[in-house]
Amino acid sequence: MISLVAPALALLWQVGQQTQAAPTASTGAQGLFDLAPTTTKFLILSSLLFIIGVGGVLARRNIIVIFMSIELILNAANINFIAFTRHWQMIGKISEHTGELFTIFIITVAAAEAAIGLGIVVSLYRNRETVAVDEIDLLKW
Amino acid sequence: MILQGAEVYFFWALALIALMSGLFTVLARSAVHSAICLMMTLIAVAGLFLLMQAEFVMGVQILVYVGGVMVLFLFVIMLVNVREERLDKARLFSRQWLGAVVLAGALAVTFSYAIRTSDPYRTLQPEQRPNTPPTTLERNPQGATPISKNAQEVGMALYQQGALPFEIASVLLLVAIIGSVLLARTPRQERLSDQEQETP
Repeated sequence: MISLVAPALALLWQVGQQTQAAPTASTGAQGLFDLAPTTTKFLILSSLLFIIGVGGVLARRNIIVIFMSIELILNAANINFIAFTRHWQMIGKISEHTGELFTIFIITVAAAEAAIGLGIVVSLYRNRETVAVDEIDLLKW
Repeated sequence: MILQGAEVYFFWALALIALMSGLFTVLARSAVHSAICLMMTLIAVAGLFLLMQAEFVMGVQILVYVGGVMVLFLFVIMLVNVREERLDKARLFSRQWLGAVVLAGALAVTFSYAIRTSDPYRTLQPEQRPNTPPTTLERNPQGATPISKNAQEVGMALYQQGALPFEIASVLLLVAIIGSVLLARTPRQERLSDQEQETP
């Protein structure tokens, strides 16, 4: 558990170091414990969710949990798209909705992927009686 | 600063809920607990979408993800016997967990470098930096509630800029339907359909 939390803490620490070293005269008061949610905070949140998802995909044994981790990764990407859409809207392109389009298509693809993937899981379980990925090694060199 | 006022507290609460339940999704021993935690993450992310005034995407997220995909996940968990994982003896992680941690750490460093070097608020000139958000809310002439035009604008963009991907997505969903039906057949159903093909 700690091994999964450690990269997240490292990321937070690095970004905190950076924002404290940033020229505060031009950016206003910014630091690690500045609670104002800027676009950067959304990026940090989504990168943390992405890292959690990647850790789950690579480390878990249960294939269903691996699929759920993929959904986490896709959601991290969605947060980025929406945050940048909002960012551009705030800058002045009020009719900017491309990021929301991308998010809708990502959700569509995720739904299709879940349907196909879970179909594969069901038929795999019927044939091999397992959902652990390291026991599904028929094609392993 | 893309949020203001009380939205700040909602941002931190929702971000914390999303991160913690995302972590529990990966770490939970039972797959059902993972699914419930992932549902909480998805709902928190939908709340973040609402904070960023993407109301239509929030609705899609709740309806499609929480109402559709996650229910599918729960059904498959129910079909597939995962009782083995609840025993404390069963291994939760595969043997490559160390490599996973190393890769996650490398990703953390990469992301922090990317965010550090491309902070969107530092690339802006001070006069470009927004102070007050341009409001997209209009007063409804029939009532007192301000209504958002987000769904209308996203719909216009979807059928103008994204018309071709929209049509391609329909083909993709058709392929997904047929593929999942074919994949989830039992051997007996496969044999029956093969016999039907042989005897016209």
